[in-house]
Amino acid sequence: MAKGFDIDHLAKLARLQLSAEEKTLYSNQLSQVLTYFETLARADLPPAANVAQVIEESALRADIPGQSLGAEAVTKIAPASRDGQISVPRVVDDES
Amino acid sequence: MSDALHLLSATEIAQRLQAGTLTSRALVEALLIRYRNLNSKVGAFTYLSESDVIAQAEASDERRKQGKTLSSLDGIPVAIKDNIAVKGQPLTCSSKMLAKLISPYDAHVIEALRAAGAIIYGRLNMDEFAMGSSTENSALQKTYNPWDLARIPGGSSGGSAAALAAGFVPLALGSDTGGSIRQPASHCGVVGLKPTYGLISRYGLVAFASSLDQIGPMARSIDDCELLLNALASPDARDMTCFDKGQRTLLPPVAVNQLRIGIPRGILDKGVGQEVAAATRAAIDFYRAQGATIVEVDLPSSDLAVPTYYVVATAEASSNLARYDGVRYGHRSTQATTPVEMMTLSRSEGFGPEVKRRILLGTFVLSAGYADAYYVRALRARSKILSEHLAALEKVDMILTPTVPTPAFKAGEKISDPLQLYLEDIFTIPANLAGLPALSVPCGKSQHLPVGFHLVGAPLSEKKLLAASRVFEAAHPYRHQQAPL
Repeated sequence: MAKGFDIDHLAKLARLQLSAEEKTLYSNQLSQVLTYFETLARADLPPAANVAQVIEESALRADIPGQSLGAEAVTKIAPASRDGQISVPRVVDDES
Repeated sequence: MSDALHLLSATEIAQRLQAGTLTSRALVEALLIRYRNLNSKVGAFTYLSESDVIAQAEASDERRKQGKTLSSLDGIPVAIKDNIAVKGQPLTCSSKMLAKLISPYDAHVIEALRAAGAIIYGRLNMDEFAMGSSTENSALQKTYNPWDLARIPGGSSGGSAAALAAGFVPLALGSDTGGSIRQPASHCGVVGLKPTYGLISRYGLVAFASSLDQIGPMARSIDDCELLLNALASPDARDMTCFDKGQRTLLPPVAVNQLRIGIPRGILDKGVGQEVAAATRAAIDFYRAQGATIVEVDLPSSDLAVPTYYVVATAEASSNLARYDGVRYGHRSTQATTPVEMMTLSRSEGFGPEVKRRILLGTFVLSAGYADAYYVRALRARSKILSEHLAALEKVDMILTPTVPTPAFKAGEKISDPLQLYLEDIFTIPANLAGLPALSVPCGKSQHLPVGFHLVGAPLSEKKLLAASRVFEAAHPYRHQQAPL
């Protein structure tokens, strides 16, 4: 396995819960891919990235409100909602 | 005769609709018969509302009856890959994560098709979140290659390619991040174009890797592909990477006897199936016989393309797919009590194995201590691949290779070996990394399986690629061959 590929740490960062079988399977499958990445490590590369999709000019538009979906459309597709708002498990603990 | 209607090209359909010898309703009814008979075998469509498409067809016929001026696409069905948003229809991306999502809006390309009067005709199976090269990663169903139902159609736009090859529809939309339009087009014997990055708006395309993703037209002929391309390519301020009005003039075509075609040195020497190599050589010989100049070009960083792609694409995917957290849309686990648990379980229950693998890889290559070694190096490699391609494209009008090294493999053959599947895209990936237009054209067979050749051009050279392919198509029978369904 490539140095530093800690599947438990990465799963936590990615908010994924993996079974023991998944961890073994994915580690094995990804170790081959990571070995393949070593061609990148050895390659002679130019110093700076000049990526194809650099956007030269500003892509910002005027700060004028435009159309948006609206609360009804958004809550319609939400897993749970109430009073025009999306409901989720309690986030903030009561301290009182 | 209703049997023959499913064989018509969009161009032929448009002529008949305009001449009044065919109605859109009659066409759609014929296509629906074929869909009812054969979709269970091929598995191309995941959704198709018969009443809705008939209503759209009738509306088109009514517009025509009223003598309105109509676009060439009016009344012609276009099937949609399931990662492109159509308001009121499922937007599943063939994933459990979005299996119940009904899109609240239309993608830019859908608005454009509606404005042209085209019929939005059903939704097509794909690899989950566009991650795959065989459509076997769909969480919904299997799709089979109409040329051999024991084989894969390619991916991730496998449903799109299969629907065309099976005669279910004359036009389809796909999306392409590393070859996902072109590779299934090649495996199914149809035409697929990935446009110049920025030509077609990505607004309403579910994001996989935003610097690589493009929507593109798929069809059974070059003329049909161009007809669809023209309808889709328009400015859109909602996609900041989409070209403005003044930036999208396409380069003019070049006569075939003035063409310079570049062949990467040694491209057919290793890893390419014998019959694929033979078909590619035959295409090269054809162009030479037509007066084109064939030039060997050097693309020394070609061996970096696949690893570069899998670092960049997975990195971007890990970021883009962070939005699937069970909060606002998509699957929410019922097993969780805390928000973090809810996110973790929703994601773990909703994503399939390939999606998880790519998120883990992408997380790794961006993580502290490793981002320089992997992601930043990949950006530098990408830069090198781009500049080598642009340099080569100063000397030649287009670069020709096979689309895929070997023809469609058997279902299940490669599914446990992700790296094998990644190597399917070895010829298609560079065009995504470099943002260049690229086209797959049917050019022969390997046994009974379609083979395609692949053209890459300079930015905005779509017309050049299409014109060059048209010459080949006119002289070869592949366009008229039908999958034996």
